Amino acid sequence: MQSYIKNRIFTLSFSLILSAGLISCRDEFLDKAPKGELTSDNFFQDELQAEQAVNAIYAHLRSFNVHVFSYIGITDIASDDADKGSVPGDAGFLQDINDFTFDANNTAVNGIWSGYYQGIFRANQVLANVPNIEMEEDLQTRLLGEARFLRAYFYFFLVRTYGDIPLIDRPLNPDEYRQERVSADEIYAFIKEDLNFAIANLPEKSEYAAADLGRATSGAAKAYLAKVHLFQNDFQAAFQAAQEVILSNEYALYPNYEAIFRREGEHSSESIFEVSTVGLEQGGGASQFNEVQGIRGNPNNGWGFNNPSDDLVAAYEENDPRLGATVIFNGDTLSTGEVVMADPNMGSEAKFSKKAWVPERPPIGFGNSGANIRLFRYADLLLIAAEAANELGNSTEALDYLNQVRDRARQGNPEILPDVTTTNQAELRTTIWQERRVELAMEQHRYFDLVRQGQAQAVFNNLDINWTPGKHEVYPIPQSEIDISAGTLTQNPGY
Amino acid sequence: MRKLLPQVNWLQSVRLLLLTLFLMIGQVSFAQNEHQVQGTILDATGEPLPGVNIVIKGTSIGTVSDLDGKYSLNAPADAVLIFSFVGFLSQEIPINNQTEINITLADDTSDLDEFIVVGYGLQRKSDLTGSISSLKSEEINRLPVSDVTQSLQGRVSGVQVTSNSGAPGEGTTIRIRGVGTLNNSDPLFVVDGMLLDDIDFLNPNDVESMEVLKDASATAIYGSRGANGVVIVTTKQGSFDTKGTVNIDAYTGIQQVAKKIDLVNGRQFAELANELEQNVGNQPPYDVNDYGVGTDWQDQIFRNAPVSSVNLGASGGNVNTSYNLSVNYFDQKGVVKESEFERLTIRVNNQYKFGEAVTFGHNLSFIYFNQQNEPGVVGNAYRTYPIFDPRNPDGTYTNTSPVGNPAAQFEYNSNNQTNDYRSVGNFFMDVKFLKNFTFRSNFGVDLAFRDSKSFTPVYFVSPTQQNLENSVAINTGRTRNFLWENMVNYNKEWDDHRLNLLGGITTQTFYQEFLGGGRRNLPGEDPSLWYLNAGELTSQTNSNTAGDWSMLSFLFRANYTYKDKFLVTGTFRRDGSSRFGRESRFGNFPSIALGYRLIEEEFLQNQNFLSDLKIRGSWGVIGNDKIAFYEGRPVVTGNENAVFGENEELIYGATLTRLANPFIQWEETVTSNIGLEFGLFDDRLIGEFDYYYRRTNDILVGVPIPAYVGASNNPIVNAASVENRGIDLSLTWREQRGDFGYNFGIVASTVNNKVLDIGEGNEAIFGGAVGISGLLGSRTIVGESIGHYFGYKTAGVFQNEEQLANTPRRGPEVAGDLIFEDTNGDGIVNNNDRVILGSPIPDLIYGFNLGFDYKGFDFGADFNGTIGNEVYNSKKQVRFNTYNFETSYLDRWTGEGTSNSEPRVTNGGHNYEVSDRFIEDASFLRLRNVQIGYSFPSVALDRIKLQNFRVYVSGTNLFTLTEYSGYTPEIGGGNVLGTGFDAGLYPIARTFNVGISANF
Repeated sequence: MQSYIKNRIFTLSFSLILSAGLISCRDEFLDKAPKGELTSDNFFQDELQAEQAVNAIYAHLRSFNVHVFSYIGITDIASDDADKGSVPGDAGFLQDINDFTFDANNTAVNGIWSGYYQGIFRANQVLANVPNIEMEEDLQTRLLGEARFLRAYFYFFLVRTYGDIPLIDRPLNPDEYRQERVSADEIYAFIKEDLNFAIANLPEKSEYAAADLGRATSGAAKAYLAKVHLFQNDFQAAFQAAQEVILSNEYALYPNYEAIFRREGEHSSESIFEVSTVGLEQGGGASQFNEVQGIRGNPNNGWGFNNPSDDLVAAYEENDPRLGATVIFNGDTLSTGEVVMADPNMGSEAKFSKKAWVPERPPIGFGNSGANIRLFRYADLLLIAAEAANELGNSTEALDYLNQVRDRARQGNPEILPDVTTTNQAELRTTIWQERRVELAMEQHRYFDLVRQGQAQAVFNNLDINWTPGKHEVYPIPQSEIDISAGTLTQNPGY
Repeated sequence: MRKLLPQVNWLQSVRLLLLTLFLMIGQVSFAQNEHQVQGTILDATGEPLPGVNIVIKGTSIGTVSDLDGKYSLNAPADAVLIFSFVGFLSQEIPINNQTEINITLADDTSDLDEFIVVGYGLQRKSDLTGSISSLKSEEINRLPVSDVTQSLQGRVSGVQVTSNSGAPGEGTTIRIRGVGTLNNSDPLFVVDGMLLDDIDFLNPNDVESMEVLKDASATAIYGSRGANGVVIVTTKQGSFDTKGTVNIDAYTGIQQVAKKIDLVNGRQFAELANELEQNVGNQPPYDVNDYGVGTDWQDQIFRNAPVSSVNLGASGGNVNTSYNLSVNYFDQKGVVKESEFERLTIRVNNQYKFGEAVTFGHNLSFIYFNQQNEPGVVGNAYRTYPIFDPRNPDGTYTNTSPVGNPAAQFEYNSNNQTNDYRSVGNFFMDVKFLKNFTFRSNFGVDLAFRDSKSFTPVYFVSPTQQNLENSVAINTGRTRNFLWENMVNYNKEWDDHRLNLLGGITTQTFYQEFLGGGRRNLPGEDPSLWYLNAGELTSQTNSNTAGDWSMLSFLFRANYTYKDKFLVTGTFRRDGSSRFGRESRFGNFPSIALGYRLIEEEFLQNQNFLSDLKIRGSWGVIGNDKIAFYEGRPVVTGNENAVFGENEELIYGATLTRLANPFIQWEETVTSNIGLEFGLFDDRLIGEFDYYYRRTNDILVGVPIPAYVGASNNPIVNAASVENRGIDLSLTWREQRGDFGYNFGIVASTVNNKVLDIGEGNEAIFGGAVGISGLLGSRTIVGESIGHYFGYKTAGVFQNEEQLANTPRRGPEVAGDLIFEDTNGDGIVNNNDRVILGSPIPDLIYGFNLGFDYKGFDFGADFNGTIGNEVYNSKKQVRFNTYNFETSYLDRWTGEGTSNSEPRVTNGGHNYEVSDRFIEDASFLRLRNVQIGYSFPSVALDRIKLQNFRVYVSGTNLFTLTEYSGYTPEIGGGNVLGTGFDAGLYPIARTFNVGISANF
């Protein structure tokens, strides 16, 4: 009996050793794949994934480093339209932006750089991989057009922020990581190439199915092309492109100025391009754009950054209704009936952006705001057309476009905002610039406009801000990028 | 296992006893001027000791104790008796006319035949060539700890144990010989052969011994998982053919907060807050005369909290079966209200013999935890203004903006529960075959299930402290971890040789999955409604993720001993892991070690001073595989959804956003160790001294690539390198003089940590978020220790305009602000002037303990501490708003000449840059535990059938000497790149316990 058991045990033992040995021969035993996730091995295989990859570029437009915190810093807080806001100790790097005391380590300077290049990375993934997918050709072309439009959008923001920058036109291999800066002119040429492809291959806003509302359009590409030309002082081309948009009849000013920034104004007739967001119960479709600018205090809508400046308030003509649609003053009674009480640490003079105000609390909270981020309005385009026309000596058309904007702003009150009549080019120029400022205030255009128009130095001197010509026209290249490049990447002058 | 050998000797002893008795009968009749002495000899657990040699000093006359430990002999009234027995410390006792001498022999822990648990086996302590520290159940159970790792603190050299916080059920951070990687530095745990990442589940009463494996000779057998050290835990086993015993251990106690933070009172707050507002040009908001002492919010959140533990165990065996069973219930309420930890553990360790050759066995444990966390009030109690009462006169909660009202948090935010159900164990079969072979197949299991639930009701305290919709969230996680090991052991002793060979194949697979969901707008707040189905369907959220890994290993070890004098150990392990790319999946981990026991040499034979002397040295390569499961795979990022359409629909998006490195490999640590072991004065003093050098290469680190490449991560590559060197020292003095026994022990370790490489392109790796966007307090660079504090060095306070004009500065300073030193002397103060401000890594980690026992009384005290480390008081630095002030603010600058250390009162800005203002000395000395016990004499216990009965009182954390202003200078947690940040840690408790321990 004893030996019988023993034999059985030995047999068992040896079969155990054998089976353990067998495991070693199975390579699969050590092959474990991520769960619930695809890898590059099984992506970019079909039409569906091509669409998904393009959607992912749009998703990036809602991300923190593209259109949220650093974004309002670089554009509004830097400008004469807004102060940092919030409480004194919070986000000192934005105070540095406001005061022009930032250096190449500034968080906003870093954030924008990586955020926009990550967008370009997503676009390049699509442009490198989607052409290899066998799929319906029209859709393929459209998707490539969308990717190129978005890539141009990212580059346009980068070139205005930093000037000369590396041009990344495809996913890089590790041996290509070292890149030199390319002149702003070459970047602009690249942007125009992308935009022209998008103009040629994208549908107009009206040609898209209702379910596709929010995708890049041919009209948007044209509008951005006009703006790109304007930033290069190519007024002829700017005017031409803007004219095409105007004559396309795809867009019209929305009658109620303030309502543009409410739910009803999303993708209104005036919208040329905006980032769609949605505040769903389960989250996932929102942006923090409104939260970071939201009222801090009561109602407690957000972090209270990007406060309209006294200088901006003073810039409005008497009784301009756009002031009330742009600025929330401490103590204001909101249309919701709530009385604004700013966080006492912000001071009693605290103001908030009304254009970023969200009246109804989104599900989960204000970080889940579904208010769209308006990037390009028809009023902007009209003012581009007006400015370009004036520069071309065409004051008639310039006045026409300018007064269209003022007329809407009047909101039917004939007592205010009289039509501009001057035909003096210089006078009209400043008038158009002034109109741009108040019409588009707190919409993240002002700082780039100040630099483009060459008035930054005068404006900031006036505000006792030490703005250095030859330096502050562009922001510094992030120091970390220069460090990594081991000498390949140069810094902007003065930093 | 130590007890095994005395039992082997047992039969021989009986024979010897009988023989001696016969001899003595003859002797007794001739002894005339002698008188009879008798007594009973017991071991430390109160068991009678048979076979003890009793000799009259200076003669060869003597006797041996019988089966009941009793002896009797005739001796001159002034003679001295020597009691000796293998495995125990000898004792000399003068007779002094006594007729009855009862003694207890203490274990001789340094005995030659003591066995130590090593990886995949047991080894004679004398044959060890590696650096292994061992802690036995007596030492583990002496301290009333909930987490068994806490008992290593201050008791084992080379090991730093830091509690992650004082919250009940919180774990510890363990560092063995420093920090050898920039990544996960936690050691590997092995419980009865099962390889695990934690031992939270263990009932300390179940632990027979803990061995800490420190050098390569000891850890290399664990290959790619041994680099951070290994802690082996062996649970208690029953003995075959032994009468069953039952033991009860129980204690209960009360805990209180060991130390409060000094915060200002209401009136002082009003003064400081007024000044703060005036400093920024505002009107002072408070009339100081309106305020008195106000509310001490710390008192509002702390309580005296009970803790108790009851353990019931049974152990024994017959010829073919042995058993050890236990059940333990542990319950600890936290010193912060609404926190609690409960644990129930059941253990069944049995072995079954089938004839001489085959043994089956299992060690099974079943565990239930229940944990409730406090609602995050510790930080808020630190910040809330003392001028606020917790409640308004009408009973509603006070609006304490800008800080949430902690009293309201208790009511609204503490509905959370986490339940853990876990079963850890192993099943094994040992087969002896041929002559010297043993085969073992061991199957280990860790099955874990966790669920947690939280509910938040609708409430309104203030606009910043409100919840508009109630919600419930459920999260579950399940884990299965299977280990299968097949080993063959060859053991042979001949002439002067001892040889042991071990070879084996092991496989391990791990899988975990999480499932969670949440809903809002439940129709009520009753706990019966805290289920997902009660919530609104449209508000539902859910998530489900999983991960797995597997490992296949081949291992081999040879131990050879010649003449008990020369020792050689060689180990080799080959590991394959799913975590690494196919090309780099397998790694080899060898080690070699030599030992030389000088004590066996001729020239050391005729002396009484040295009782043990051994030198040993080891070298080996070990690995660290603790990286993400799929680090090498380029994963598509999903749910990058776009919003399109008039109806604003979420449209699924996905793309590549990350870069992955398919060539990543484990980190490799090369360790050298030289050790000296010695015993003096008949092993009364035993000591161990080790010098080690560890160098980790190929440390996985994200090497920065230019951001314009566009990836959202820095791909991980094997690029960094770190070294640790230091000494470990442990000394124990132990002596029994008659009824009086005493002991003293000390352990001390040093760590010198230096980073040698952090990867090409990395100039510095910053870590340690202080809680303010963009501010990091730690830096890691080549040539310095990992994660040192880095920032501005202060040089006083600006006193006046003139000084401002003449001193280099950053720019925004005004009089009353801190002066930051222009360390590079370039005339301006900027980022380049930041310097090293300290380190969270101590220069010295130490512990010492002392104990006495006399008759039934025993006393023990444990101290531990560190020297030369700093903490970062980040809770003081974060001031987005006006918060309450630490009393250090009372010494602020208020005008020229008022202070040159504490700046004017501000929130944020210049004075809140990372500077040595927030670095504090964290050196400390703590009296961890004092215990006084009394064991009732066996005579008294016999009547009530008790073998042993001890009562004791004990105090934990009675005092801590430290300069640090926070609750405790021991700050655990955090990753190695930024440790020691006190962001508002749960305080530690001082505990007073009474307990009993009984065997019958």
